[in-house]
Amino acid sequence: MNSEEHSALSGQPVDQATHFEIERFLVREARALDEERYHDWLDNMVAKDVIYQLPTQEVRYRRDRKTIGNAQTTYLYNDNYDVLAMRVARFDTGFLWAEDPPMRIRRYITNIDAQWADEEGEVDVWSNFIVYRSRAQRDNVSTHGRRRDRLRKTDGQWQLASRVITLEQRVIMDKNVHCFF
Amino acid sequence: MLDAKELVDTKNSTQAKKIFGDREVYEQELERIFGRCWLFLAHECQLEKTGDFVTTTMAEDPIIVTRHKDGSLQAFINSCTHRGNKVCTAETGNSKSFVCNYHGWVFATDGSLVDVPLKERCYHGDIDQSQLGLPKVRVESYRGFVFGCFDDNAPSLEEYLGDWGWYLDTWMVGAGEGMELVGPAMKSTLQCNWKVPAENFVGDAYHVGWTHAAALEVLGGELAGLAGNSAEMPYDDLGIQVTTRHGHGFGVIHHAASSIHAKREAYDKYLQASIPKVAENLGQARADLFDGHWNCTTFPNCSFLYGTNIFKIWHPRGPNEIEVWSYVLVHKDMDEAAKKEVVKQAVRSFGTAGTLESDDGDNMVNATTANKGAKARKNRMSSTMAQGHEGPHPVYPGIVGSSFIGETSYRGFYRFYQEVMAAQSWDDIRENNDSWDDIFDNKDYWKNKLAGDQ
Repeated sequence: MNSEEHSALSGQPVDQATHFEIERFLVREARALDEERYHDWLDNMVAKDVIYQLPTQEVRYRRDRKTIGNAQTTYLYNDNYDVLAMRVARFDTGFLWAEDPPMRIRRYITNIDAQWADEEGEVDVWSNFIVYRSRAQRDNVSTHGRRRDRLRKTDGQWQLASRVITLEQRVIMDKNVHCFF
Repeated sequence: MLDAKELVDTKNSTQAKKIFGDREVYEQELERIFGRCWLFLAHECQLEKTGDFVTTTMAEDPIIVTRHKDGSLQAFINSCTHRGNKVCTAETGNSKSFVCNYHGWVFATDGSLVDVPLKERCYHGDIDQSQLGLPKVRVESYRGFVFGCFDDNAPSLEEYLGDWGWYLDTWMVGAGEGMELVGPAMKSTLQCNWKVPAENFVGDAYHVGWTHAAALEVLGGELAGLAGNSAEMPYDDLGIQVTTRHGHGFGVIHHAASSIHAKREAYDKYLQASIPKVAENLGQARADLFDGHWNCTTFPNCSFLYGTNIFKIWHPRGPNEIEVWSYVLVHKDMDEAAKKEVVKQAVRSFGTAGTLESDDGDNMVNATTANKGAKARKNRMSSTMAQGHEGPHPVYPGIVGSSFIGETSYRGFYRFYQEVMAAQSWDDIRENNDSWDDIFDNKDYWKNKLAGDQ
């Protein structure tokens, strides 16, 4: 595909074969995280220039059009590859009491919609999720949200180039959200 | 009536475990602590223009804070005087008035009732709007930090902060511009009693090396040595902790503002460049504290870490639940790029998805639930660490403990807790203004220690 052909595709839904690959990628990624294979995730599924964000939302009236995400605003996650790696490294220290006994986490990924991005070999993917976290005896929480991902195909493999997560809950009904969505 | 002396024993420095879960204790706290003390509402940077508003809560009472058209800050209870509905359901914005969704009563930004639909035809003109404004709350601001108080008999905010204000000025005045908050607040819930995180921030540097061992190790800052309590550290030389009148307190690790995180060049540079100006504004004692790392609580429920720069309010939602609201503190005169870096770092450590935040959550929940049982709740908790290794200091106001790790400020926090819970009114509390620090009876601690050091 030359660049002219590519730019004509930008914003168009991906073809069936590509959609299938992307869906498989997201499901495999979710399983790697469910199974706590964090290094596998980082090494094989996450691009080195990844941007991983979860902006904080405010409850405002419709007439109030202030946008979120400017320079001075809070994000629950605003990470690059090194910071994601640092989060993962905590598991390797042997000191991570909150994860020992381990949590049980299941991720459900739905409503996948993919379209060609403006960069060649990249796609924009929207998906909804439910993350079910169970801890200790009866500490069970479901978190719902949406992701807008940029995936990039490198050497025949899809990788996560960016992820912007939104959570619908304004007040997180959990003690924290320190898990990967 | 509860026996406040049974709830808190200041001599032996113990507290009844039931203070973490008992409904009767909690109801009395709502009346006597949250009904009397100054509670953090907002920062003025959220209320710059006429009509700007923020909604929050004082304990469980919903509150609207506004910038009124005469330039004043106003606060009032967000509950319609007609049938009790909330009159504002957004958390922030700008508005000329607040219109109740239920019947359309209109309140101005000072809470006064300015319009009632069908006033002539249905009320027959027989309604006194002047008596139906939203109940006002006292509002005062300290260096841009806005507090509210329900009690007309309470001292001014400045008096309430007292010597704690002397310390706060270190960075609330600092090099001249002071600090502001970056939001939106991150909000989450924790099934714990509000005092568990409040006491933790007022004086618990002890838990840092153990609770946060994993995060400290991977963050790789200078304080990584605390991880697992493994390093040989001269704890008594690294910092101090302080309690002041009205239960406020903090611990400081000297020159460690940025030491939890590695790689904070821009922030370090800002701090070091500002120190001479801080010394000029406030003197050397506070200039020496300016680049420290502080863990703090302004009594009762406003806590922050200066250095890491997270700012939290623990809003009680019953005896066993709180809402955690977390903002980021930034120095106003820092450049935008450096501010951005501070925000990122603060959120990564103590935001809702923060690496250190997640370490604390389980402990705080379990410290609450483990005290519910019929036997456990009759037992007591201790806060005796380094008791006696504290006293008045020639330089620093309040009562100063020997090390940043110790429980001096726990003792001060719970001494005041006991005092407010027992008092009939602020008049009773005022009577103790000159004797509040009697429980810290080693008056010559610092005189002897400093003489010995020479």
